Amino acid sequence: MPEQAQRRAPAPEPEERPEASDRAFEELRHIIVSPEQEQIVEIRSRIENPERRVEDVSSVVAEAIQLRRQQGDAAALSDALAPTVEETLRESVRKDPHILADALFPVMGPAIRKSITETLRSMLESFNEALEHSLSVRGMRWRIEALRTGKSFAEIVLMHSLLYRVEQVFLIHRETGLALGHVTAASVATQDPSLVAGMLSAIQQFVRDSFSSPRQESLDSMTVGGLEVWIEDGPHAVIAAVIRGHAPADYRLALQQALEGIEGEFSAALATFQGDTGPFRTAETRLETLLVTHYRERSASARRPWMAIAAGALLVGVVTGWISHSVYQNHQWSQFVRSLSQHPGIVVTSYGRSGGHWLIRGFRDPLASNPASDLARSGLDARKADLEFAPFYSLDDAIVGERATGLLTPPAGVTLTDEKGTLVASGMASSAWLTQFYERAPLIAGVLSVDTTKLRNSEMASLESTVLTFPLGSAELDSGQQDVLARAARDLGAVRQYADHTSQQATISIVGHTDSSGVESSNQVLSNQRAAAIAVILVRDGVPKGVLVPRGVGTTQPLRAEQSDEAQHFNRSVTFHVNLSPVSSAP
Amino acid sequence: MLQKKICMLGSFSVGKTSLVRRFVESIFDEKYQTTIGVKVDKKVVSVGREEVTLVLWDIHGEDVFQKMRMTYLRGMSGYLLVVDPTRRQTLEDALALQARVQEAMGPIAWILVLNKCDRITEWEIDLKQIGPSEGSRQAVIRTSAKTGEGVEEAFSRLAQAMLHSP
Repeated sequence: MPEQAQRRAPAPEPEERPEASDRAFEELRHIIVSPEQEQIVEIRSRIENPERRVEDVSSVVAEAIQLRRQQGDAAALSDALAPTVEETLRESVRKDPHILADALFPVMGPAIRKSITETLRSMLESFNEALEHSLSVRGMRWRIEALRTGKSFAEIVLMHSLLYRVEQVFLIHRETGLALGHVTAASVATQDPSLVAGMLSAIQQFVRDSFSSPRQESLDSMTVGGLEVWIEDGPHAVIAAVIRGHAPADYRLALQQALEGIEGEFSAALATFQGDTGPFRTAETRLETLLVTHYRERSASARRPWMAIAAGALLVGVVTGWISHSVYQNHQWSQFVRSLSQHPGIVVTSYGRSGGHWLIRGFRDPLASNPASDLARSGLDARKADLEFAPFYSLDDAIVGERATGLLTPPAGVTLTDEKGTLVASGMASSAWLTQFYERAPLIAGVLSVDTTKLRNSEMASLESTVLTFPLGSAELDSGQQDVLARAARDLGAVRQYADHTSQQATISIVGHTDSSGVESSNQVLSNQRAAAIAVILVRDGVPKGVLVPRGVGTTQPLRAEQSDEAQHFNRSVTFHVNLSPVSSAP
Repeated sequence: MLQKKICMLGSFSVGKTSLVRRFVESIFDEKYQTTIGVKVDKKVVSVGREEVTLVLWDIHGEDVFQKMRMTYLRGMSGYLLVVDPTRRQTLEDALALQARVQEAMGPIAWILVLNKCDRITEWEIDLKQIGPSEGSRQAVIRTSAKTGEGVEEAFSRLAQAMLHSP
């Protein structure tokens, strides 16, 4: 139309003609052009008026979009519309979320429900497994195994949980229930796959119909004795795995991935399936990857007896060794305690063991040996024992003897021993020491009495062994005998002092001797004179006359047999004899 | 290998299961039949030079208590509509069922099977009553699961019909 108008537009060209013809021409022009002019005005108003334009586009917009889609350029259309649609949805949600929520509810509900159900179910499955493993006999066995192998219990449980074998996998056409593929593990007895696939489809349909579940949901698994059948549903195909034992939840993921792969690869063949299973032969390689078998327990159980025997033998060895070692240790400690209690001055009141530590208690005399050094010498581990010994005075003979020796400091040649409370002193000691011995010995702990029968006074012995010699027929001392007499006098003084301190009366006999020459009567006289002469000297030197008893024995008590001149000379002498007697109670 | 799903349809007790048993001579699982109303069997037949595996869905017969589940028919390539001619009602029910199937699933190859031909004296149906079908391309076959008469033919005719129809 606009083209026509343009073509006709140059027609009224000769406008500068005379008036009359102008008028006629104008009329003619009006007649010819006016309808088209009106149309031009009409068209221009349609173009220029936005409201009219909107009206025009609205009447064809739906058809235009449809046409564009049919032309096969849907992608460009989607690209053009997507931002607007997205913005629109966003705006719609901002204004009133309920509208979109209501619209999406039928889709979202089942999707969310299925997701939650899946999650809960796998949680429950693992919880059930954990309970079963921790409470059953098998669980106990696994705990022992965990202890034995040093692995954590969780690892052991995991190891055994993975015990399963996928025996068969079916690929089933969803619509017809026909078997598209079927793989089996080695040496598994199987039914005809067509029958199984058909029955599985029938069961699926029965379940869907009977429980009027939404389309998305269907039978996921079945359990028959030790077998489980896991079913995974796709839009066109179904995968069913027959599993002996318990597969982990992860395995379902593997099923899903395999199914998705098959649906993708064979989507055309699945959609147009007319009963020819030829194109699906290659799908069996995917199915074979699903035939998972875990032999872990078998290898473990095959090893177990040897491990167990070795571990058992080791355990028995260790236990036996430990028992004998501890018996031996106990024996050693008892021996030590027994030997300790045999030590003089040590009394063990108790000993025992607590927490691998020995505690030995008792009393110990300060003079007794030190138990700690005994322990060190014994070869036992001194760190394993506590020794608690309280000090005390022991009445053991050895200790009392030692104590007396320590306190009395006896001179060389004197020994002190204790025999059941009686302190036995033996040897030769000076009067001075003897004096203090008699004073102190009874005060010593453990000394009940003193036995001095074997104790000799050294001065007294010296005095009694003194021989004062005389010339033939004379009662005057040989020259040179003065020193001997002086020493005898000193000894006599000490003896008297000792007797005083020990409440005794000392009587000293001065015995005169002669040799066998001459007549006996004159010899007797001579011996009397000799004894008297010495007594006189001693009295003169301060010895009381009363303690001295001079007497002559003539030749009756010769000191030596007179076989030589020297022996004869020895018999011309004076000797001393001391007699100690307790002081009479009378004054 | 070509596989086809075939359904056995018909009223309760017309002999569908007996026909399948006769045809296949094997039983999958008796319990399933009573539990969920379907038993699946299989038989390989030759059509011309081609071997076809027929997967037979023996579906529980319809009666007043149990309507047949149409979902079991999904994906089938053909069906045997079995009638017990000794009970006239089974023919009427079968034809009504055929109409329902046709409506739901479109044109599908099928064979009308008049079973129990060994008891032909007890038949309540005159063959002429179903004359129109016999005259048309629709096949009608007389069988006896008891004697085996017509059984093989019924299945192979159906197989041929399925392969020759698109």
